[in-house]
Amino acid sequence: MIRATISASVLATLLAGAAMSAQTYRALRTASGQPDLNGFWQALNTANWDLEAHEAAAGPVLQLGAAYAVPPGAGVVVDGPIPYKPDALAMKRKYAANALREDAEVKCYLPGVPRVMYMPYPVQIVQSTDTIVMMSEFASAVRTIYINGTARPPADTWMGWSNGKWDGETLVIDSRGFMSGTVGALDEEGAVHVRFLDRAGNYHTDGLHVVERIRRTGPDHLQYEATIEDPNVYTRPWTIRMPLYRRVEANMQLGDFKCEEFVGDLVYGKYQKK
Amino acid sequence: MQARSTTLLIGVILALGATTARAHHSWNTVFSEDKPLVLRGTIAKVELVNPHAWIWIDVKTADGTTQKWGIEGGPPNGLIRNGITKDSLKIGEELIVHGYGARDDTTYQVAGVKYEKADGQEFWLANEGAEATAKAKGNLK
Repeated sequence: MIRATISASVLATLLAGAAMSAQTYRALRTASGQPDLNGFWQALNTANWDLEAHEAAAGPVLQLGAAYAVPPGAGVVVDGPIPYKPDALAMKRKYAANALREDAEVKCYLPGVPRVMYMPYPVQIVQSTDTIVMMSEFASAVRTIYINGTARPPADTWMGWSNGKWDGETLVIDSRGFMSGTVGALDEEGAVHVRFLDRAGNYHTDGLHVVERIRRTGPDHLQYEATIEDPNVYTRPWTIRMPLYRRVEANMQLGDFKCEEFVGDLVYGKYQKK
Repeated sequence: MQARSTTLLIGVILALGATTARAHHSWNTVFSEDKPLVLRGTIAKVELVNPHAWIWIDVKTADGTTQKWGIEGGPPNGLIRNGITKDSLKIGEELIVHGYGARDDTTYQVAGVKYEKADGQEFWLANEGAEATAKAKGNLK
């Protein structure tokens, strides 16, 4: 019993120490003196299936059985549940029921922010003094972060417009200018009406404003946090948080995942000659 | 290579399809120079996206129903240069739109040339082709 108590207190001390070192970790610096975020990073959780806590569930296509079932997760929303407006919550349920039609991931449209950061694909960060580029393997989606940039989005796009600044060890990114779906969003084949944040139908519109905070908490870890605001959908801003892990393989590189080739028949099949 | 030629083929088929009104096209393939029209409606949605911006308005018809019309403008940078930003177009705000209707009468879409706000201020939609026709033909309503 005494031994157990001691072990528990030793463990608590160790855990506190680990937490402390994550808070105080000072990243290596780039040549220009910024914390170094270069490398390949990837989420290791089920946020892309559902940002909120969820149980395991069958997948959306009967024939795929357990192979494409939904893995369970404790959720990444810090201040949940996601604060939907009442009508938006009803829409979320409707979209969730139509996920195969409405989820841009299914159709290989660019995933946007923050989703690109926690899809089950690696993200490579390439950092210079004035510009940081984040490249996902998924659909070769790229975001450019303009350090100390103040420009407003020149147009709405799938990946939005990101200005960044350094707050000590933390990179703070402010992103706006997101499209709400395919242009026109009429009932054409391939149209998506809103942007999914995960496969569970959590969504945003072109009112999206994201503030991300990224800091290195160790040689192989980033802490990733995103505060999500959209007055069309939510009653208040809300926040997700998760670690991103460094892909340490010696031969690590972004592969080609040019998924347009996989969805040609799905999205444009009706235009093909029979 | 196989995948590439399939993609190309799909592209060609798409280009031939008459239903792809929102593709990047010469304006008078979809719209008619002989169908000038004026629409009064309230803004439902603003898409400041490349290659062409779209403003969607709800138009009340004579029988009291609402039709959603799509107003196609030029590229977003053209609109911004003419003083049109997303912040300047509020959902629910009334606009009077001048432009040219679609060749297909079942398509509620307009090649927008300009719009007026309630205070009479005019904004040009940077739709070069339609604007040139309006000047040359002088038939803009």
